[in-house]
Amino acid sequence: MEKIIILCAMFLMAVFFFKWKHKDGNNHGDGIHHHKIGHKHGEGFSIDFYAYASKIRHWNATFKVSLSVLTLILCILLDNPYVSVAVIIAMAYLTVVKGEISVTEYLSILAIPIAFILLGTFTIAIDFSKQPMGQYNLYLGFGYVFTSQAKLKTVVFLIVKVFAAISALQMMTLSTPSSEIIYVLKKAHVPKLIIELMSLIYRYIFILMDVYTKMKNSAQSRQGYCDFKTSYYTFGSIASNMLVISLKKANAYYDAMEARCYDGDLTFLEEDKNVEIIQIAMAVAFIIFLILIWIFTR
Amino acid sequence: MKKLILKVEDLYYIYGNGKSALDGVSVDIYEGEKIAVLGSNGSGKSTFFLNVDGVLTQEQGKIIYRDTVINKKNLNELRKNIGIVFQDADNQIIASTVRAEVAFGPMNLKLPKEEVLKRVDEALAYMNISEFKDRPPHYLSGGEKKRVSIADIIAMKSEIIIFDEPTAALDPLNAHMLEEVLVKLGSEGKTMLISTHDVDFAYRWAERVLVFCEGKIIADGTPLEIFQNKEILRQANLKQPTMLEVYELLVEKHLLEDTKAYPKSTQEFKEILEK
Repeated sequence: MEKIIILCAMFLMAVFFFKWKHKDGNNHGDGIHHHKIGHKHGEGFSIDFYAYASKIRHWNATFKVSLSVLTLILCILLDNPYVSVAVIIAMAYLTVVKGEISVTEYLSILAIPIAFILLGTFTIAIDFSKQPMGQYNLYLGFGYVFTSQAKLKTVVFLIVKVFAAISALQMMTLSTPSSEIIYVLKKAHVPKLIIELMSLIYRYIFILMDVYTKMKNSAQSRQGYCDFKTSYYTFGSIASNMLVISLKKANAYYDAMEARCYDGDLTFLEEDKNVEIIQIAMAVAFIIFLILIWIFTR
Repeated sequence: MKKLILKVEDLYYIYGNGKSALDGVSVDIYEGEKIAVLGSNGSGKSTFFLNVDGVLTQEQGKIIYRDTVINKKNLNELRKNIGIVFQDADNQIIASTVRAEVAFGPMNLKLPKEEVLKRVDEALAYMNISEFKDRPPHYLSGGEKKRVSIADIIAMKSEIIIFDEPTAALDPLNAHMLEEVLVKLGSEGKTMLISTHDVDFAYRWAERVLVFCEGKIIADGTPLEIFQNKEILRQANLKQPTMLEVYELLVEKHLLEDTKAYPKSTQEFKEILEK
């Protein structure tokens, strides 16, 4: 019972921490607004923005996606802290040095999942008991919280592994725009329906955000958020209104698509970017290097 | 004599809620005409455009494109040759990069890839947006989105281009650029239909004006004929173009000799005054 309560408290803390981070990130995004391509949504969308600003964006998308997925799989399969550390360093190098995304921005993006990882692994490290046991324990009045060196070690290794996996995927998202990732998935023979849905949803997210922002602003200007109860009411009205608008927009979209000879197949123009041999060579060397580390530290 | 390109005969359209939107519309459109379509909100202009493009199916009536009567089977022929630039660019832009967006039409025409790429590059250069080609549409401004939506249609190389209120929500500079594009397209012999509420623009640009009112075409003629007919203007809730009004006032007060040389722009007006 106590464990559940404490878990809940931790979850709340995680949410608050995330919120705070989010706010922080938001200001960050606005800062960019003034000197680069425009951007007006929250941090969640800035990730997409970074992909367009990245200097390794012109690399072949298939290459980037496969490298990052392969690295991710190796991280998990080899399950070795040295491999993980090598991956973290290599991916940070690719994103920050090659992609020229500033270190603070990179860290702030990585910090979004950090809270979840720390809190998630924390529960693995500790346990409760009525008797004092384990290498380290703390008396809390109703019982003992305890942990051991071995457990702490697993936790640290786990954190490193998770971070390596995240940074591998982050390398992909911070350098490849969504449309290109969708294109790679298409080449990998993901079902057509899913591909078409993905492209439409990606485009629609921004339209929905735009509509929502406009409605929210107009509600705000009419005192729609003056107190808690009104805020709830306004939020509900906006949500239902958005449904109606989405349906209308879907109709308008369909008309516009039909006017341009749409006949049931969404086909977009895509182009392959050249992949350089040196890039492939480096990637292969990196993968072999990871496996070698694993063999020598097993 | 100009060749007939599109013939609309007795078109009726009724919306799902029973409201009649088009009430017997007949019009002949000839090659290379520059037509302004005027009329208040809800007078049936947009419905007319969607019908003409085959997006909506008429209740009754015929659409004849170059001697072929359009039915369900050759509908795509119609859509291929008539392009619509929609009023709200956000309702038209569907792809996630500008290049893919402009290529959407040509790709649907099942053209070979080289041809698609050529057309996309041409259309982007035409609208002067080549530098945006890898950008996603959500990082573009309203004017830029409008230009992308026009490039969409240019890439399809359709013979007739329909613009649904193109100047709405554009700043003066973008509106001016749009007019330049329209003049350029006109000089290339494209047939154009533009719906607008800007009577000054219609007076300046159009060779022919159609006035819609409650689902009917109540007037069809040269801009001068239409804008001098007070009865039609009153019926369709339109006002006279400023240039015409000023000229007529000057003539009425005998400040200017009535030579019937109606000026269309301030430049032309200046020339008349300097004579």
